[in-house]
Amino acid sequence: MGEAGAGVGAPGGPEASPEAEVVKLLPFLAPGARADLQAAAVRHVLALTGSGPGRALLAGQEALLQALVELAPASAPARDAARALVNLAADPGLHETLLAADPGLPARLLGRALDPQWPWAEEAAAALANLSREQGPCAELMAALAAAEPADSGLERMVRALCTPGYNARAPLHYLAPLLSNLSQRPAARAFLLDPDRCVVQRLLPLTQYPDSSVRRGGVVGTLRNCCFEHRHHKWLLGPEVDILPFLLLPLAGPEDFSEEEMERLPVDLQYLPPDKQREPDADIRKMLVEAIMLLTATAPGRQQVRDQGAYLILRELHSWEPEPDVRAACEKLIQVLIGDEPERGMENLLEVQVPEDVEQQLQQLDCREQEQLQREQAPEPWVERATPT
Amino acid sequence: MEQPGQDPTSDDVMDSFLEKFQSQPYRGGFHEDQWEEEFEKVPLFMRRAPSEIDPRENPDLACLQSIIFDEGRSPEEQAKTYKDEGNDYFKEKDYKKAVISYTEGLKKKCADPDLNAVLYTNRAAAQYYLGNFRSALNDVTAARKLKPCHLKAIIRGALCHLELKHFAEAVNWCDEGLQIDGKEKKLLELRAKADKLKRIEQRDVRKASLKEKKERNQNEALLQTIKARNIRLSEAACEDEDSPSEGLGELFLDGLSSDNPHGARLSLDDQGRLSWPVLFLYPEYAQSDFISAFHEDSRFIDHLMVMFGETPSWDLEQKYCPDNLEVYFEDEDRAELYRVPAKSTLLQVLQHHRYFVKALTPAFLVCVGSSPFCKNYLRGRKVYQIQ
Repeated sequence: MGEAGAGVGAPGGPEASPEAEVVKLLPFLAPGARADLQAAAVRHVLALTGSGPGRALLAGQEALLQALVELAPASAPARDAARALVNLAADPGLHETLLAADPGLPARLLGRALDPQWPWAEEAAAALANLSREQGPCAELMAALAAAEPADSGLERMVRALCTPGYNARAPLHYLAPLLSNLSQRPAARAFLLDPDRCVVQRLLPLTQYPDSSVRRGGVVGTLRNCCFEHRHHKWLLGPEVDILPFLLLPLAGPEDFSEEEMERLPVDLQYLPPDKQREPDADIRKMLVEAIMLLTATAPGRQQVRDQGAYLILRELHSWEPEPDVRAACEKLIQVLIGDEPERGMENLLEVQVPEDVEQQLQQLDCREQEQLQREQAPEPWVERATPT
Repeated sequence: MEQPGQDPTSDDVMDSFLEKFQSQPYRGGFHEDQWEEEFEKVPLFMRRAPSEIDPRENPDLACLQSIIFDEGRSPEEQAKTYKDEGNDYFKEKDYKKAVISYTEGLKKKCADPDLNAVLYTNRAAAQYYLGNFRSALNDVTAARKLKPCHLKAIIRGALCHLELKHFAEAVNWCDEGLQIDGKEKKLLELRAKADKLKRIEQRDVRKASLKEKKERNQNEALLQTIKARNIRLSEAACEDEDSPSEGLGELFLDGLSSDNPHGARLSLDDQGRLSWPVLFLYPEYAQSDFISAFHEDSRFIDHLMVMFGETPSWDLEQKYCPDNLEVYFEDEDRAELYRVPAKSTLLQVLQHHRYFVKALTPAFLVCVGSSPFCKNYLRGRKVYQIQ
């Protein structure tokens, strides 16, 4: 990765400032510019985004950013431009700068991402997925969604794009899923997803088994997990109108040979799975699934429903198979909740329990010790789900 | 009664008209004992229209009908009238007549797409209640072509797919409808129902597939066991010349049908020993006995002792005692008989190089050795002894 700011090959003149050099690129990015020069200019921009200083340099250039977004879709440079934006958006330090330079960026990118004809919609979605990881841009995006069309229809279009195969013939739009997952951190998004008068979350459920993209699966599972924080909706989520539990358990289930009696206790979707059934290959997604189910056990009725629907059997088998220590630990905790005694009165909703301070401290100490132990067991490699084009 | 030149509605005329009836009876009234029926015939007071209007019986009604269905009116008006007629029949649950009315309405080919869409949708509903789900689907498809956002057509279509057990299609139609109105209650309900049924159906497919696989494995294991013992099976008689292969399934099916009244079949026990369904034939009296599970290591004599502990009812000469009995099997290809020593086990006999098991059910002939029948039966035939 070369250092940014070096001379761009602009003709003549003494050493100019990096900003000035970059601004010189602008005319070549204009719509009518000569094709080969345009391509070269964009490639240069893309190269700049490969490094921190390069990105920082570009982020403040409003005209440049707008030019990148506006490039004609059919041209090859447009793809590089889209990728450049993804890289820029991946840098969390730059979000403020980006949005300050071009406040309309989220809305424009959204338009691109949801346009069924736009060939670089996947890149636009990826850039948005990166941007929305931070609170600020996330809020911007929600505002853009609310403002753009009649209420909720922005999110509805996003869900539809995600759930309709072939929505965009040229872009698979997997990155809409992590985008949705980030948006679901906001109560307004969750309210829409969990609207009992509509059918929204139900359409996302089958995607937990989507074979061709772990990005999509991860995004959907993340969204569902965030939704599970809404304990007021647990009864509905676990009930027949949504029936979320089988979809959370299915990726965790393997080709187990249960007895007839055990089989009858499982939800319909988990019965008689074929011998070639694979579990979710991505450990982080498995962890999120376990966490989501754990959230659903926060209330006493929820716990009962989860027990009644045969979660224990699946989790038991998962536990004996699970190679990752932290997923196994999460699985253990969940099994404890399922087979343990009911908590005393006043503690029925574990999400709302007031933990006395001394107990809180003790728990934190225990947590720390556990973390240390886990770290000793595995190489500490933080998993960064940053979307960058390969 | 009116005097020419007088206004018939004037009070005086009315008075004199009414006064007449003080002396003359009124003849135009209903008959006392059948006034209710006559009442029903007056169009204004009819509670139900007759299904067929005979102009001679009911001229007033026929008159009204011809006004309504006047060909002179515009196609739209006529179509609307037919639609209303259809709706009335529909309310009375006379779905067949409703279909006819709606069809007549559609025949008018009026220019109003909304009206036509409603005619199609309503006809679809009537067809639905008649159980003609595919016709109904055709109609709602036509309705949707005219009016893509017609929710009633979409709901009806989803219902039809549900009845036809096209669960995935039903869900799709519901989703399409929900795109138009995301809160439509009926569609939300239908979708949840169709989705659940779809998942149940998928489970049933998985269950059946697993069961079939298990059976195939069992059959395969049995066949391997038979082969390992060098037991020969005769070619399964193929009735259907065109069947591509005598699958294991067919082989075992043969063994299950015909001579097997109790559905007994070849089985393998925990020690890996086979038990066969076996047929004993008594040619002298054209009788037979069926042993549902003859363990391969058990001897013929042991079974015969049990079977002939008491002489059977058909044994007229009471000679069929275990000691007297001789067991044979027939090599059908060569029409030769083999004498089976009573103390042999089933396995020993089955392993004979000229024994071919038919339909997985070994068969043996039994007769009384010293009897005239037996001597006669064996005469002129090649009989071998087995060691």
